[in-house]
Amino acid sequence: MRSAFLLREAALLLVLGVMFAAFSIFVPGFYDWTNVFDRTRHWVAAGLIAIPMTFIIATAGIDLSVGSLVAMSGIVLGLLYRDGHWPIGLAVLAAIGAGMAGGALNGAVISRFGIPPLVATLATMALFSGVATGLSKGRPIGNLPASLQWLSQGDAFVLRFGQGIAAPLPFSLLVLAAATALGWVLMHRSWVGRFTEFIGENEMAARFAAIPVPRMRLGIYTACGLVCGVASVLYTGLYATARPDAARGLELEVIACVVIGGTRISGGHASVLGSLLGLFIIGMLKYGLQMGGVKSEYLIILVGILLILTAVFNEWLFTRTGGKT
Amino acid sequence: MRRVITVVSLVAVVFAGRGVSETATPAPTTAKKPTSIGVMPKKKGIDFFNATEIGAKEAGRELGITVDFDGPVTNDVTLQAQMIETWIAKKYDAIAVAPNDPEAIAPVLQKARKRGIKVIAWDADARKDAREYFVNQCTSASVAKTLMDVMAQGVGPEAKYIIVTGSLTAANQNIWMDEMEQYRRTAYPKMSNLSETPKATEEDQEMATQVTTDCLKAYPDLQGIFAITSVALPGAAEALRKAGAADRVFLTGLATPKAMREYVKDGTVKRFVLWNPVDLGYLATYAAIALTRGELQTGATTFKAGRLGEVKVQDSEMILGDPIIFDANNIDAFNF
Repeated sequence: MRSAFLLREAALLLVLGVMFAAFSIFVPGFYDWTNVFDRTRHWVAAGLIAIPMTFIIATAGIDLSVGSLVAMSGIVLGLLYRDGHWPIGLAVLAAIGAGMAGGALNGAVISRFGIPPLVATLATMALFSGVATGLSKGRPIGNLPASLQWLSQGDAFVLRFGQGIAAPLPFSLLVLAAATALGWVLMHRSWVGRFTEFIGENEMAARFAAIPVPRMRLGIYTACGLVCGVASVLYTGLYATARPDAARGLELEVIACVVIGGTRISGGHASVLGSLLGLFIIGMLKYGLQMGGVKSEYLIILVGILLILTAVFNEWLFTRTGGKT
Repeated sequence: MRRVITVVSLVAVVFAGRGVSETATPAPTTAKKPTSIGVMPKKKGIDFFNATEIGAKEAGRELGITVDFDGPVTNDVTLQAQMIETWIAKKYDAIAVAPNDPEAIAPVLQKARKRGIKVIAWDADARKDAREYFVNQCTSASVAKTLMDVMAQGVGPEAKYIIVTGSLTAANQNIWMDEMEQYRRTAYPKMSNLSETPKATEEDQEMATQVTTDCLKAYPDLQGIFAITSVALPGAAEALRKAGAADRVFLTGLATPKAMREYVKDGTVKRFVLWNPVDLGYLATYAAIALTRGELQTGATTFKAGRLGEVKVQDSEMILGDPIIFDANNIDAFNF
């Protein structure tokens, strides 16, 4: 039985807490829940995809196509709404379907033909991006309905805590919370997670143990595509346009969250909660430094240093505990 | 393990406490804080926007205001939106932004306006309801006309050309290309664009060189190239120089004299076009500051902008002036 609250997650939470404390004390204007919550809207797409990416990396796989898939699904949504005159609800479903189809293609190529995930998704990354650019003729699609924008820009309810502290809680953040809960249960409390980690640890042994490895792979990549479709809806709503160049570089952001969260890039060990904490640590660091007046070129350097430090820490923790966390 | 949890909960408790105490004691009425202005380019670290930064800082100095000039290091509108989110949290008084996309930047700009922040779009427009004024370098029609005329003088009225652009979604470039096509139909009907889809180079100079090199091979009867971003033109010039193709292909477009000086000196590029980016940054910043001081009102028809004098305002749009044509004779007179 694995402990629900592991050492690594606690350490990450501590880092996040200390960071938040330091920024609140030293950076004027940082401690304002309304602004912090506002900022989290921009993290939701990466956070959602980080959940299935945790599963993928746990199988020692990778998916580089997630950014392009978000762009392609968004364009499907925009085109069906603008040119196909579909009701927005159906267009949203079609976008999610397009994402799922893209993910299934990844899964099929990887599990059927045994193409390494890095190669397969590098190819589909170009493919999806090309389809998005081709379908939209390279131009963004605007004039989307307010209801779609509300999903990302709107608030679910006003959160009150303490005395007189009120912060509007973004609806999209609730979506992320729900998805994380689901991902956590699947990974840490069900056979899905056990099989996933087993495949990453030792694929041959997993096959001998009669785990349906190809079907698991297909399922995980398809689920990742589906989540990309959902993320594309929120992304399109957040920036009020469906864009062929949407989510450029999102794959690296997502992978960074997962790796900081303690999921091993070589597979076998996964932490859904860790990925989410990774997301918040990177986001909070960027936000706090920006508020503190650090210019964007130095910001990238500092984020890079953070990544190296966490990688070193994770490796150290892993060897020290003999691979138990 | 236990210790870690204790520390975490301590941090949490401290914060809960902090929040309560802060609201329990009424915040001291802040003395009037100095005006703060944020000016954001499409992308940092390229010649054109470095030059606009000089102008922005100059306007700030003249009016005694510190200007925060910052932007993303890639031409990504979502990074711009996040940075503006930060500027809203910092309670800046005015924001002047050169958006990478007019629609996608609109929600965050509207949020800024709702919180009482004055918003100016410069270099490229934002959706009209998301900003007070747009500071335009010159009308898109005059940019398009100047470019086509330069091509006609360089190659002749039957030139076969292609267009090298930034990203396919860049609003300015798309408007200019539409205007160029319109002007071509009436003024030079025998000219032809060999590739209806422009060649994208993503504001990346090496990519522009690569793309241009490919085009020189792919279009054997190519006579002219328009490279219509300040990064694409020097990139394309490098490709032309390497291929030694300057005498059979006429290259022109938009870039800073600084980036183009060597290519004009060695004859790779004969003539190219731009406005004055220092003045553009100056005007945008000057207008933003004037808005916060109430010196510039909605619906104004003229605006006195420091050393630039009277600037015309039409439909909430200010126009800096006409584009300048640079060649070997005048290029040394410009230091941006």
